[in-house]
Amino acid sequence: MAEEKFFPNNKPEPWQEVLPVLPANLRRLISGLPRPVLAQLEEIRLRQGRPLMVGQAQNDAFVSPEGQLETLPAGAYLVSGEDIQRTLQLVSGASFYALEEELRNGYITLPGGHRVGLVGRAVVEGGQIKTLKNIWSLNIRISREVIGAATPVLPYLVNHQAIYHTMLFSPPRCGKTTLLRDLIRQISNGTPDLNLPGLTVGVVDERSELAGCYRGVPQRDLGVRTDVLDGCPKSKGMIMLVRAMAPQVVATDEIGRQEDVAALEEILHAGVKVLFTVHGSSLAELAGRPALAYLFRLNVVERFVLLGRSRGVGTIEDILDGKTRRSLWR
Amino acid sequence: MLKIAGCLLIMSAGSFAGISTARNYARRPGELRSMVTALQMLETEISYTATPLPEALARIAARCDKAIAPLFSRASEELYAQTGCTAGEAWENALNKFYALSSTLPSDLAVLRNLGTVLGVSNGEDQCKHLRLAKEQLKGEIITAEQQAAKYVKLWNYLGLLGSLALILLLY
Repeated sequence: MAEEKFFPNNKPEPWQEVLPVLPANLRRLISGLPRPVLAQLEEIRLRQGRPLMVGQAQNDAFVSPEGQLETLPAGAYLVSGEDIQRTLQLVSGASFYALEEELRNGYITLPGGHRVGLVGRAVVEGGQIKTLKNIWSLNIRISREVIGAATPVLPYLVNHQAIYHTMLFSPPRCGKTTLLRDLIRQISNGTPDLNLPGLTVGVVDERSELAGCYRGVPQRDLGVRTDVLDGCPKSKGMIMLVRAMAPQVVATDEIGRQEDVAALEEILHAGVKVLFTVHGSSLAELAGRPALAYLFRLNVVERFVLLGRSRGVGTIEDILDGKTRRSLWR
Repeated sequence: MLKIAGCLLIMSAGSFAGISTARNYARRPGELRSMVTALQMLETEISYTATPLPEALARIAARCDKAIAPLFSRASEELYAQTGCTAGEAWENALNKFYALSSTLPSDLAVLRNLGTVLGVSNGEDQCKHLRLAKEQLKGEIITAEQQAAKYVKLWNYLGLLGSLALILLLY
C-alpha cells in the first residue's frame, strides 16, 4: 500500500528517478529527507571531501549523516572519494567507455532526462578537450516537466496561426528549458483557445536536455508534431532539420556561438519560425556577446521573453516586442 | 554377501571420483577457450559499438558457450537491477557463483577477478587493453590446461577404479 502512495499512477516522482545513480548509503540519506523537500529538490551536489548538498528552489542546504537538512556545513555528511567513484560508475551505467562524447561535454543524461554535470581534470589534446579524469565533483540536476508552464506566455507569441521568432533568456536555473519544452509541446499539439493549429516543430537537442533522450528515445512529451534531432550540434542540426523534416518551427536550446547564429540566420530567412533560448540577464548584457550582438543587428527576433526567479523558478519577468523593445507583459 | 556389497560400493565410489576429476581436467581447456572467445566478443562490443556494459554482457551470454553463459548473464542481471553495486562487484558475485560450478582453477579465477576490477571504469582503449591482457593470460592457462588434460584425464579415469580395487584388496 505504501508503495502505491509513493508512486501515483506508477510514475515515480522526479527525485526518485535519480536515486538509482546514487550508491546505497547516499540513497538512504537522500530518500530520508522530508517529503516536501524532495518534491522541491533541484539538484544533488557531490564534491569529494566536502559536505553533501542539495539545491532547492530558493536555497541550498547540507545533509547530515542522519539524513536531516542542515543550514551549516559543520554537521554535514562528508562525501568520500569512494562515494564519488561509485556514483560515477552508476551514472555511467558501468560503461565509462560508452560516454567519451559526454565526458568531453562535461555532463551525462540519465533516463528521465535528468542530467549529471561532472568536473575534474580536463585532458587536452591539440586545444580540444579529449576527456575528463580525476572527476571529483558531480551535480545531479533533476529535471521537471511543468505541463502548462507556457500557458501565460503563449498568447504573446501567437501571430495569425503561426508564432513569432522568439528568444527566451534568463540567468541559469530560471526555468528556460522547462518553459521552452512546454512551449514546444503546446505549439506542436496546437492550442484551440488561441486559434493556433498544431505546427510541425523540429527540435535540435544538442545536449539531450529538451527531449531528455536516453539512448535515442525521448523521455519527455514534446507534443505530437515534434521531431527531435538528438545530440547534433545546433549549427548543423537546424539546417539539417529544415531540409529533412520541413518543420514550421525550429526550436533549440542555448544559442551563443558564432556558428549557431549563422545557422539561425540561414533558417530565419527560410520561412521557418525559430524558438530558442540564451543565457543572460538583460538584453544589454546579451548585446555584449559578439555573436548575439550580430543577431540583434539583424533585428529579426520578434519577441523576447525574460525569465527570473523573483516569484519562484520560471517567473516571467518581461516580454518585449522585438522591434520596439517595448514591454508587452501585463 | 555384505562384503561384496561393500566392495561394490567402494568400487563405484572410487571410479566415480576418478571419472569426475578426469572430467574436470578434460573440460577446463574447453571452458577457457570459450572464455577467451567471450572476452573477444566483449572487446568488440566495447571498441566498435560502445555498447553499455549490462547490454553487452547480456548479448554475450546469449551467444557464448552455454557452460560459461551464466557468468555473463548473472553479472548483466545484477547491473540491470540497479541495486547500487558497481560493475566490479556484479562481476565478482557472478564469478564466485560461476567458479563453484565450473572446472576452472584458482589461477583462472585470478585472471578474471583482475579483469573485474577495471570493467567499465575507463575509456574504450583502456578497456580493450585490459581485455587483451586477460585473453593472453587465459591463453597461457589453456596451454597448461591442455597439457594437464593430456596427462591426467586417462590417469584419473584409471586411478579411480584401480585405486578402489587396491583398497578392496587391502581390506579383503
